[in-house]
This record gives sequence, structure tokens and C-alpha cells, in this order.
Amino acid sequence: MNPTSASDTIIQEIAIKAPAQRIFDALTNPGQRTKWWGAEGRFQTTHMESDLRPGGKWMMSGNGVGGKPFTVSGEYRQIEPPRLLVFTWLPTWQEDAIESLVRFDLEEKNGVTTVRLTHSGLTDSSRTSHKGWPQVLTWLQGYVEWPATL
Amino acid sequence: MVTIKRNPTNTAFRAIADPTRRSILSLLRGRPHTVGEIAANFRTSRPAISKHLRLLRSAGLVVTRKDGAARICSLNAKPLRAVSVWLREYEEFWSHSLRGLKNYIEAEGQKEKN
Repeated sequence: MNPTSASDTIIQEIAIKAPAQRIFDALTNPGQRTKWWGAEGRFQTTHMESDLRPGGKWMMSGNGVGGKPFTVSGEYRQIEPPRLLVFTWLPTWQEDAIESLVRFDLEEKNGVTTVRLTHSGLTDSSRTSHKGWPQVLTWLQGYVEWPATL
Repeated sequence: MVTIKRNPTNTAFRAIADPTRRSILSLLRGRPHTVGEIAANFRTSRPAISKHLRLLRSAGLVVTRKDGAARICSLNAKPLRAVSVWLREYEEFWSHSLRGLKNYIEAEGQKEKN
């Protein structure tokens, strides 16, 4: 696990001892995704629908923190098995939720696949206001990390 | 893990979603300004700036005090902590999900071998 998140983008990597295609299937196949996504009381996913084609819709639902039901839905943007999967992400648990973008890059080497997750646009409430975000969040972080300067 | 959170995260998000309001916050980060000084930095009309300032005040990001006839605005970055916490929760959520994916696939691989 190697989190290198900056500004409003979350990037995480994990190495899995399996072929990329195997992982791609686990990400996109509803029967498989419900087997690994979340655990009881921690975002447990019980249902998924997936129309795997560019522009096709997907959704998943289950029980979040404290058993509270959640739904996330979106649309597939890029599908290049087994290397790339991009879809939009719209959660129900956030008031005024905004659509963000989730990207999975799978790189297989000697039987080990590096899975890189990029979740971007998390605080971008409109496409046009995106400019300037990185700087803003950087100094916000500064304030948060050094409260003495408040 | 992602928890359900309403205020004040969302008011903070809404407040900083607008580029003019972000510029105002950047300005106040340097030092406190009067409303007139803030308005002088923008082409936008003064009433429009006042409206932005009202929103920033209601989000708790800007505090004002009177100094004679002038109103002095300063930055209170505390509510932004909610934004940062929210992002951190998303990080945890993803690291948890990816670990679940790894465990699932590697366990399945073992089963196939056995």
C-alpha cells in the first residue's frame, strides 16, 4: 500500500499476486464485487449492477457505517480489459454529492499485478471551478496541519 | 471508510467551491482586510463581494469586527479541517477496499491450486 494523495485526488497502489484479467473481472463482475468490497459494518456491498460498456451504467448498494444503507452509482467511461477501467462515482451519503472519477490501472509483471487507484474530482463542485483547486487545497492542508498559525 | 457527514463539511465545500470566494480566502490568508480593500482586488461589484463575504461568514470561514466605520475581515480556517478529514476518510475507504480485493483474489488463487 502506497498512498500518495495530493490536493483533491486520492492515489493508492496495491500489488496482487494474480493476472490482471483476474482482477479486472473482480472489479467489474457483480457476483465477484460483492464478495470483496467492504466487510460487515464497514461499507459492506450486497448488491451490484453493471452494464459493462462505455456509457453503460453501474451501481452498488449495501450497508455502511452503523448499518446505514448506501448506494453509489455511475457510468463507465473507459474499458480496456485488462489494463484500464474508468467510471464515474456518485455517492448518496453526501448531501449535494458531486460526481467524481475513479480510475483503475492494472499493470501485470511476472505474475504480480500492480493495481493503481486514482479517485479525482472529489471536491470539484462544478467542472468550471476546477482551476485553482490544487493550490487552494495545498494551503488548506497547511492550515490544518499547523493550527498554531490560525 | 466513509461516514455520513452533513454540516459543517458541506457548507465549507459550498463556500470554497466558488473561485471568487477562494481568492478572497487567499487574500485574507496574508492579513486581515477591510471590505473595501477586498472589493478593490476584484472587478466584481461591491454588493457581489459583500454577498460572497456573507456566505463565507455563514460558513464560519471569515470573521468580521468593526473598527470605527470600517469592517475588518479575517480568516478562520478551522471549518476547512472538515474538508481535510473528509478526504482522509476517503483514503481509508479505498485502502480498505483494495486490501479486500487483494485478500479475495489471492485466497481464490490458493483455492485453485489446492
